[in-house]
Amino acid sequence: MTVALLALVLIWIGFIAYVVLGGADFGAGVWDLLASGPTARRQHEFINRVLGPVWEANHVWLIFLLVGLLNIFPVAFSAFMSALFVPLSIALVGIVLRGAGFIFRAYALQTEEFSARLWSRVFSTSSLLTPFFLGAAAAAVAGGHIPLSNITPADLLFGWITPFSLAVGVMAVLQCAAVAAVYLAAEARTNQEEEFAASYRIKALITSGLVSALGIVCIALSVTEAPWLWRGILTQSFVFVGITMLMGLLVLITLVTKRYRLAGFFVILETAFMLISWGVSQYPYIIPPTLTIEQAANNPQLVTTLLIVMIIGMLLVLPALLFLYSVFKWGPPVELPGTTGGGEQKRGSN
Amino acid sequence: MENLLAARAQMGTSLAFHIVFSLFGVGLPLFLCIAEGLALKTKDPIWLLLARRWTKASAILFAIGAVSGTIISFELGLLWPTYTKFAGQVIGLPFMLEGFAFLLEAIFLGLYLYGWNRLSPRVHWLCSFPVWISGLLSAWFIVSANSWMNTPVGFVIRNGQIVDINPWHAILNPSAPYEILHQSLACYVVTALVIGAVYAVEILRGKRGDYYRKGLLLAMGVGVIATPLQLFSGDLNARFLSEAQPVKFAAMEGDFHTEKGPPLRVGGLADPTTGQVYYALEIPYGESLLVYGNITGEIRGLDAFPKQDWPDAIPYVHLAFDAMVGCGTFALLVAVLFWFLFWRQKRRLPEQRWLLVGMILAGPATIIATICGWLVTEMGRQPWVISGFLRTRDAVTPAPWVSVSFLVFVIVYLMLAITLVRLLLGVMRQPLPQIQSMEEVYQIEAKESAGV
Repeated sequence: MTVALLALVLIWIGFIAYVVLGGADFGAGVWDLLASGPTARRQHEFINRVLGPVWEANHVWLIFLLVGLLNIFPVAFSAFMSALFVPLSIALVGIVLRGAGFIFRAYALQTEEFSARLWSRVFSTSSLLTPFFLGAAAAAVAGGHIPLSNITPADLLFGWITPFSLAVGVMAVLQCAAVAAVYLAAEARTNQEEEFAASYRIKALITSGLVSALGIVCIALSVTEAPWLWRGILTQSFVFVGITMLMGLLVLITLVTKRYRLAGFFVILETAFMLISWGVSQYPYIIPPTLTIEQAANNPQLVTTLLIVMIIGMLLVLPALLFLYSVFKWGPPVELPGTTGGGEQKRGSN
Repeated sequence: MENLLAARAQMGTSLAFHIVFSLFGVGLPLFLCIAEGLALKTKDPIWLLLARRWTKASAILFAIGAVSGTIISFELGLLWPTYTKFAGQVIGLPFMLEGFAFLLEAIFLGLYLYGWNRLSPRVHWLCSFPVWISGLLSAWFIVSANSWMNTPVGFVIRNGQIVDINPWHAILNPSAPYEILHQSLACYVVTALVIGAVYAVEILRGKRGDYYRKGLLLAMGVGVIATPLQLFSGDLNARFLSEAQPVKFAAMEGDFHTEKGPPLRVGGLADPTTGQVYYALEIPYGESLLVYGNITGEIRGLDAFPKQDWPDAIPYVHLAFDAMVGCGTFALLVAVLFWFLFWRQKRRLPEQRWLLVGMILAGPATIIATICGWLVTEMGRQPWVISGFLRTRDAVTPAPWVSVSFLVFVIVYLMLAITLVRLLLGVMRQPLPQIQSMEEVYQIEAKESAGV
């Protein structure tokens, strides 16, 4: 195993972390958008409470992914950014509006009603759009639509739009929503809000089912739309694809039997194996079919330095991250006075 | 709009927007740490209340800082793909270190902002340390990447290939200590004087009490230490630039011609077509005195360098430089006067109207100074993006609709800025709760953190 490949494995772990943590935050935004009826306001508050302490840390995994690619594979990073200017710019606007919308609405809830409603919509709508465009951009990479030079304006505008990339974009949204629904169900149970837990269980079941169906569609589409990926699945990653499907099944079973924590565990594994399958199928290319991992990598000596820095960095960050989650997610629920009462008198219906 | 100009405009707007938030992102945690530490030591609930109120403002400033920083990291690639291909090979290390520092900061910030009633008071206070330390480290790493663009080292170009790469040498490039010190101090100067301005407004409106007194004393205390250090570091920086980046230095000072014992030109319009500086206030031998400490020193003017290497915005570079120095000096004057009056009035807060107005102006002035400083360093480096190696026009993306994305981002920034100011004013206007003990402050936390 070369240092470049090892570094890519670490970057990929960061990518998985972003999807299972940051992706779930986007998913929660999707459920926020769909919250309606008499409990809508309480659902918004519930989602505020769940995301509040962790969303920034979850978001930073994206930065890790970006700087990792920039450092270790500058040529590939530059090619991705040139070719995917349009979808990534849209996703970027979405990322910004999601974060800003979330914090603005949390603040405005205490002061202004109109502003709260506006930013609530901004938060939830951008939570829906961002994973779609990030997913579609990822599919354009897998589908071999990243030219290394001579990019025409037509390529830039439409090059990344294929049936495959659109399907993967939708699947990304659904997967984020599914992961979020599983987490939210578990969190609702911890907080003894059984009504919410039941509702998120149904949502998780529906979206997980849809993801499985769409996953099969995407694999079928890859035969013609992403031939390198398809060949990789047949020859290299079929085991991982199988494990992904098995995990998907276990998520459904644990949801049916209402074991939410276990479902959370399996949904993380499902997402991780989904991304591992993609990575392994694409090997040895970083940009199929033109650029391999070795060709794109920085010089080995430099990569070794960066790899050591990455490992030390991870060793520093992981305990801190575990501490954060142990305080807010795994600890006993803290009875917050005024959790449901504090803001309620000031606001009308939403 | 031309692609290059649109890309520069978008990058500049994004940096200017982000820098304002990163100033507070680095500066505020130190204030939180000091105030909460004093509260735990003295058992005085007022200090805890100060920390709590600043936490409220921090949460929102940090969130916008995080998302606007994400914009920058994408834009490096989206707008300047050729730059990232070059820079990524050499100066990637600080970007990666910055990524980890940022991750640590975000983790402990989450613990700090939302952990008021989940952590013990001492552990909660301890969580503020990694926040301000990694905030400072982030600034260090990212500024060292910028200083490398000014004085690129740590590699050799051989046959068009970048070879002999030494990332540690690159990170410790010659400009790094000067730029890092200057930007780190800027964070504390700005945070201190902006907090000072906020409480000066309150006092002018007739608010009195221990809360405002303690808040002001802490803010102006940090301000009066950091501001003179900042002027000193600025002086070091300018002298260094006169050697290391003579073109930038000449543009800053409006020196078109190489002169012995040049005057200091304050303000004025530096016209590159005629090579004259109009309407400037000239202090004889001033520049020579500042750089060399004598009146005979020779300073290389722009005419010593080929015109194709001149910055394209010389008049702005010169004015931005003078505006930065002017605003910084004004802030120092206000901070010193505050303490002078404080001691002369036997440790009573100065309530003179003129001083309070001065303090209210000094807060925004320090932000203007920071933005002007970055305008000088960025516009003064043009036409290069990596000084001497890569021209900005060769680094820009081929994507043809940069002006559209510039427009979109300007709209996004305007929306964010307007909402942010309104919400921060809302936080400021919330009435102070009446509290008698530390426990009561923690009780407020419990009630308020539920909504946030």
